Amino acid sequence: MIRFLTRRRGATGDGHGWHWTDIATWVWLIGGTILMFGPAVWLVLSSFKTPAGLAEFPPTILPYAQETTMLGDQAKPLFEVTLEDGITVTMAELRRVGIVAQMVPPDQPDAEPLKININDRTPVRQMDFATENYTQPFLQFDFVLFLRNSVYVTVMATIITLLTNSMAAFALSKYEFRGRNAVMLLIVATLMVPLSVILVPLYSVVSAVGLINNLWGVILPTVATPTGVFLLRQYMLTIPDELLEAARMDHASEWQIYWRIVLPLAAPALAVLAIFSVVWRWNDFLWPLVVLSRRELYTLQIGLNSYAGELNVQWHFILAMTVVAMIPVVLVFVFLQRFITAGIAGTGLK
Amino acid sequence: MGAITLENIVKSFGAVEVIRDVSLDIPEGELVVFVGPSGCGKSTLLRLISGLDQPTSGHILIDGKDVTRVSAADRGLAMVFQSYALYPHMSVRQNMAFGLENTRMPKAEIASRIEEAARMLEIGPLLDRRPGQLSGGQRQRVAIGRAIVREPTAFLLDEPLSNLDAELRGTMRAELAALHGRLGKTMIYVTHDQIEAMTMADRIVVLRAGVVEQVDTPLNLFNKPANRFVAGFIGAPRMNFIEAEDGRVMGVRPQHLRLADGGLAVTVDMAENLGAETLIHARTDKDQPILALLPGQLTPTRGENLSLVHDPADEHWFGADGLRL
Repeated sequence: MIRFLTRRRGATGDGHGWHWTDIATWVWLIGGTILMFGPAVWLVLSSFKTPAGLAEFPPTILPYAQETTMLGDQAKPLFEVTLEDGITVTMAELRRVGIVAQMVPPDQPDAEPLKININDRTPVRQMDFATENYTQPFLQFDFVLFLRNSVYVTVMATIITLLTNSMAAFALSKYEFRGRNAVMLLIVATLMVPLSVILVPLYSVVSAVGLINNLWGVILPTVATPTGVFLLRQYMLTIPDELLEAARMDHASEWQIYWRIVLPLAAPALAVLAIFSVVWRWNDFLWPLVVLSRRELYTLQIGLNSYAGELNVQWHFILAMTVVAMIPVVLVFVFLQRFITAGIAGTGLK
Repeated sequence: MGAITLENIVKSFGAVEVIRDVSLDIPEGELVVFVGPSGCGKSTLLRLISGLDQPTSGHILIDGKDVTRVSAADRGLAMVFQSYALYPHMSVRQNMAFGLENTRMPKAEIASRIEEAARMLEIGPLLDRRPGQLSGGQRQRVAIGRAIVREPTAFLLDEPLSNLDAELRGTMRAELAALHGRLGKTMIYVTHDQIEAMTMADRIVVLRAGVVEQVDTPLNLFNKPANRFVAGFIGAPRMNFIEAEDGRVMGVRPQHLRLADGGLAVTVDMAENLGAETLIHARTDKDQPILALLPGQLTPTRGENLSLVHDPADEHWFGADGLRL
C-alpha cells in the first residue's frame, strides 16, 4: 500500500530519486485534495464548535472547549496558572474583575482566592464536540419541518422530472416527425437562459395560477430541464431500433414500449439525471426563496438562511445544519454513482 | 393458413426506389428464401411484409385478405431479427412471454407455450437467464423461441444466422429446416448467403436492385438460370462467361470444365488447392478470366498452358440483353 502510494517515476526513470514531474504531481494532487476536501472537513469540524470556539482567533482546526470543575453547585472554568515563583498549577476561576481573576485550587474551594493577572494563565482545554448544535435545531426550532419540506420538494420534483424528461427524450429520439430537430434545438437553447432572467415573468405565472406559498410552486417550474431531455435523448439514441420493432411485433403499445422497453434500458441515464435532479432541487435557494414566504413552508436552504439575522448570525447552527443538509446529497452520490457507469443496453444484441 | 401474396409492391425512400414493382405468390407452408447482393432490397421487402414499413404503392395479402394498412402486430406474423433484438433487461422467459402478455393471454396458457417451445429448442435450462448471459447460438434459439410461442401464421427471418460462426451456422441451418418441417408454417428467410438459400429453400427469390430476377426451386435456379445475373450469383465459384462473336454469351460452370486436349486454351494465373479439388484461376488468349474446379490435387505452375473442355449440355447461352436463350 505504502509502496503503491509512494510510487514515482524517479530521476532516472527507475523509481529512485525525484524527477521534477514527481514533485509537480505530488504538489498538484495534495494541493487538489486540500482544495477539494479542506472546506468540507473544516465545515464538519467547525459545526461541532461552540459559538465562542467559532469566534476564537487564531482559529483551531479541532473543536475545543474549556474544562470546568464543580465548585459547590456551580461549574467554574479551569486554568493553568503560572505563579510568581514560576510554578505552574491548575486553578479554577471564581470571578474576574478587569484583568485580574480570583482563583482557587480546585481541590480547596474554600481557600483564600489568589489574585492572578489574566496574562499569567492559559485555559485548560480538551476536545469537545458541541452536539447541541445539532440537537437544538431539531428539538427547539422548525428544522424537522424544513427537512420534510425539502424532502417532499426533492422527491416529487425528481419523479416528475424523470417522467416528463424521459417522455420528451423518447419522442425526440425514437419518432420521426417534422421539426424534430427544431424542437430539440429549442429545448437545448433554453440552457442559455439563466433563472435570474426569467425570475420575474415566472413569478407572475406562478402567482397567477395561485401557487405562491405552495410547495408545488417550487416543484412545477423546475421539472422540465433541458439538460435532462438532452442527456436522456442522447442515451436513448443508442438503444437499437430493432428492439422497439420487436416489441411492436409483440403487440406492445407505444406506451408499453416506452414503459417496459425504453425506460428500463435507459436506467443508467435515468440514474444520472436522478442524481442531478436531487442535487439541484435539494440545493435550490433562489426560487424557493421567491415563492415561499411562510415559515412553515421553508425548505432547508431557506431555513438555514433564517439563522442569519440582520444583527446576529448563528454560525454554529448554520454550520451544523449545513452538514445535515449535505448528508442526503452525499448519500445519493455514494449509492447511485455506480449506476452511472453501468450500461446494460445492447447486451441482448450480437 | 399463411399464404402471402405481394401485388405490384413499390417502396421509395425519397427519390430512391428501393423496391420496384415486385409481385410474388408464396403458398402456405413454403420456405421461401430472398437472396441477393447487399442493397438489393431483400430486407426492405421483408419489413414491408412484416408491416414495420409501409409500401409506397401496391398491396400485401395474407390468406387473401388485404393487410397493407394493418399494423405489424395484427398481421399475425413473427419476425426474427438479424441482431435477435432480445430485450436485454428481461429473462429468456420474460422475453418469450412479453408478446403473449400483451395480448392478455391467460398465464397458464403462456407458461405451457413457453414450456413447449423451450422443449422443442432445448433451451429449458436457460429460461431464467438474461440474454447477456447466453452464447450467440443460444440467443439465436431464444429469438426463434420468441417467434414460435406466438404461433404465427408465418415466420419472417432476417439474416438470422449471419452473426454465428461458420460451424454453428451449419447446425442451425439444419435445425431451422427441420423446424420448418415440423411446424409446417410459411417461412420467409432473407440471406445473402447462397449456401443457406440453396440448402434450405423450397423456392428461392433472387433480387437485384429492387427487382425480382427469378423465382424458382434451388436446383432449377442452378440448372436453368433465367439471366446472366442469376447465373453469376447462384453457384460457387461463380460461372464463367465467354463472349461469343455475335454478342451472345456462353456460360459454363467451373465444375463442368475438365482437362482434355483440343478444348479452350488458357494460361494459369494461380491454383488454389482445396484438398479434394483444385480451383484454377486462368485466362483465355482474349484475356477473359476463367475459373475451373478440377477434381484431385493439381499443381500447375503459373504461366502453364492448359486445355479445358466441357459437355455441350452444360452450356448456358445468354443473349446480348442478358436473358437466357
